[in-house]
Amino acid sequence: MRTVIEGSHAVSYGVMLCRVQVIAAYPITPQTHIVEKLSEFCASGELQAKFLKVESEHSAMASCIGASAVGARAFTASSSQGIALMHELLHWTSGARLPIVMVNVNRALAAPWNIGCDQIDSLSQRDTGWLQFYCESSQEALDTVIQAFKISERVSLPSMVVLDAFYLSHTYEPVDIPDRERVDKFLPPYEPKYKLDPKDPRSFGGLTGPDTFTELRYQMQQSMEQAQSVIVEVDEEYRKIFGRGYGRMEAYRCEDAELVLVTTGTVTSTSREVVDQYRDEGKAIGLLKIKAFRPFPSEEIRRNLKGIPKVAVIDRNISFGSGGIFAEELRSALCNEKERPLVFSYVAGLGGRDITQETISNVIEYTLEEDQPKEASLWPDLRR
Amino acid sequence: MKEKVTFKRLQDIPPVAISLGTLLWNKTGTWRYLKPKYVVKTPPCNEACPAGNDIEGFMVLVKEGKLHEAWELIREENPFPGVCGRVCFHPCESSCNRRDYDEALSIHAVERHIADAHLKSKREKRHTKIKRKERVAIIGSGPSGLTCAYHLARMGYGVTVFESQSSPGGILRVGIPEYRLPKAVLDREIADIESWGVEIKTNTRVGKDIPFDDLHKYQAIFIAVGAHQSRRLHIEGEHAERVLSGLEFLKHVHMGKKVSLGDRVVVIGGGNVAVDVARSAWRVGARKIQMVCLESREEMPASSEEIAETEAEGIEILPSAMPLRITSDGGRVKKVEFIKAKLGEPKPDGSLNPISIPGTEFSLEADSVITAIGEVPDLSFLPREVPINKGLIEADEMGFVHVKGFFAGGDTVNPVHTVTGAIGSGKKTALAIHEYLRGGWSREKFRTIQVGGKGTISLKKYFHPPEGEANPPVVHFQDLHTDTFDHQPRISIPRISIDERRGGFKEVNSGMKGEEALEEARRCFHCGVCNGCDNCWVYCPDMAVKRKQGRYEIDYDYCKGCGICFEECPRSAILLEEEGR
Repeated sequence: MRTVIEGSHAVSYGVMLCRVQVIAAYPITPQTHIVEKLSEFCASGELQAKFLKVESEHSAMASCIGASAVGARAFTASSSQGIALMHELLHWTSGARLPIVMVNVNRALAAPWNIGCDQIDSLSQRDTGWLQFYCESSQEALDTVIQAFKISERVSLPSMVVLDAFYLSHTYEPVDIPDRERVDKFLPPYEPKYKLDPKDPRSFGGLTGPDTFTELRYQMQQSMEQAQSVIVEVDEEYRKIFGRGYGRMEAYRCEDAELVLVTTGTVTSTSREVVDQYRDEGKAIGLLKIKAFRPFPSEEIRRNLKGIPKVAVIDRNISFGSGGIFAEELRSALCNEKERPLVFSYVAGLGGRDITQETISNVIEYTLEEDQPKEASLWPDLRR
Repeated sequence: MKEKVTFKRLQDIPPVAISLGTLLWNKTGTWRYLKPKYVVKTPPCNEACPAGNDIEGFMVLVKEGKLHEAWELIREENPFPGVCGRVCFHPCESSCNRRDYDEALSIHAVERHIADAHLKSKREKRHTKIKRKERVAIIGSGPSGLTCAYHLARMGYGVTVFESQSSPGGILRVGIPEYRLPKAVLDREIADIESWGVEIKTNTRVGKDIPFDDLHKYQAIFIAVGAHQSRRLHIEGEHAERVLSGLEFLKHVHMGKKVSLGDRVVVIGGGNVAVDVARSAWRVGARKIQMVCLESREEMPASSEEIAETEAEGIEILPSAMPLRITSDGGRVKKVEFIKAKLGEPKPDGSLNPISIPGTEFSLEADSVITAIGEVPDLSFLPREVPINKGLIEADEMGFVHVKGFFAGGDTVNPVHTVTGAIGSGKKTALAIHEYLRGGWSREKFRTIQVGGKGTISLKKYFHPPEGEANPPVVHFQDLHTDTFDHQPRISIPRISIDERRGGFKEVNSGMKGEEALEEARRCFHCGVCNGCDNCWVYCPDMAVKRKQGRYEIDYDYCKGCGICFEECPRSAILLEEEGR
């Protein structure tokens, strides 16, 4: 069914179609609309799920952990401070190998208070063992939620589906809501191999000594590596059934490019327009949209950027004392290559500031002009 | 665990950190130093009911749609649910813990609903048998006398009730107007009492129609003649024509006698009888009715609901005034003179102590004056050995008079006159007579059948002693964990319009519909009594709470004593005590 809905509600529909069994959530702007809609689905019976209103995000994730441990498909959504409060349990989720899916609507962290978009909330959770997917459109958000359950349940690790605050969460776009039967076929019920069963009580996540801890961690890393191909397989299967796919990344007009922009989230859409304009003027500018941040698709990035002289990474985030986080990851993916592009790191659009076509043009112009970036991180939309 | 497992290779290790065997061997109950325990406590409503109704118990039955069983449950203690549901001053509602949450349950309305459902049902034929040889005489067929007769008959005694009026009921019949208590309701409940084999001799005033000595053939005598003599004002002019006593007036109205009051009526008194008088006077056609009492509005003993209805019917209330004299013209009342007054400390005998305020005299024009400043028993017929103090028979709380075989109760011994108090008194006396005839009564026995600490007793406890504590503590609001309760207002009971009331005695308060009674019963917190709400079962983190026949038991092998069940029990039906190990 094709309809015009808010990005948040696109997520809610995706979750409903996954026949999630437990939703535990605590409201926070700009995420709230997602779980509001889900609570309506639960109330109307469209979704047969237990909806838990909890007293904090920490409890929300704890409830999802409990639900997932007994074999229920569990979902939550949060943002910013809420994600930060969950931090401890994000580690627990992956360590306990629970395939929970969470939507994080990217919002800046205080202080000072700000409800606008930037990616620091999700990127601060980089090392928690969660898969992370950054979405460009409402459609992609819906589709990614459905894919994420399948991927997570295959690799026994949780997934975070990430959306830009307001640009995506509160914007109405045409969205195709897939048929229930086809989603059911794509995503069968969750059947975990190990689950908490009161009839056969076991200890879960109990004290584990140095004799086995390394091995458990190695298995997690292996699962992340396995996820690289699972993401691609699941996406291909999805494309076959629903006619849409996204991959781990998308290279747009990168052929023979003298400069490739690297983006995530909604900036990608704006960048497509700018890239088209440059191409119309005969300038070879390309665009690489990165969707999967964890596991980081280093090999595919190396492949896509082979022979490209310059790369401009636009980061809607900042790792203080270092720079844009995607730029760092990209550099580390490229650093062992003999021939590798120059990487320019741009930090822009923090706390909800618009990244306009003008900002993107400035990024392109600067990168084309300069032989080397003059600073470790460049701030193209800074008021000087 | 018995054997140590050693992982040799990566492949041996499961992907999840999980124990390879069951953990049932680990009896975590040994960690416990606090032990939860299911208990039954006393709901405050049950404690407050002078008649000893198991209110919490009948709310359960109403919720289950078992109205007949609810009726039976009330009748274990009280033969007058239809009467009490209408005229009781419901101290249960003043004690209801829900008052501190939103509004008290409308207990009286639910009780009335139960009784009304019975009223509509077909009468059962009861074959009663007098099993015991002892016979009991009861003087007076008011609420106290008939309750006593009912319980004694249920216990198998032959009972004869002597009633001076032409029909039984005492104050219920002649004192309470029909717009509050319809005759049909009273008749049916008395008929139900008679069906137990109780013999009621009407038109038989002991000491006049039969000599008192005739009663000595009975093994026990219960004096429950009530208080039917109105106190006098002791002021100038009170012997004039058209100065009536309240009870006399109500009796005449009840008997359908024509009472000509004229247009303007002054009622003197601030209690429930005065209110009944004023509202009845309005119904028989008086135009301007003024109620004058010594007490301030806040001090008036009449119930606030009754006062509100009185004013709604256009009756004027003039508080804080003392009558000085009644002036007449040609032997007929003309006006009443008053002076404003306030109440000082009560006199040593407990009576009111008005202090007049000089210069505040006023007078009211009146065609009739009706006084209702209190009623006292007429005990002139009693043999001299019956001890009397300040106009009342001296008896203990169970009705024992210190003359062998003599008992007394209701308004005859109690200065505070309430129907439910009289019912409770009649019940206690029935038990006292039973114990007396069986030859043993002890304070200890009384203690075990008490419900809380306000003097109420339970016959159910007497005949079927409960397991556990005999008189468990009363649950107060602070003992409850109210998070799981929704806020819901008390049901409002519809009343007929003022126009419908005029000129007749149609019942003012309407009953509830079935679903409304159900809804109201659902508001009950069930203080101190498990009702199978599942909270303990849901919240126990160790799954140590097991369901058992709609209730629960605790698996102490795995209960760590965390106390969450205790915290989550909304009604304080779980106790947390120190582990005795």
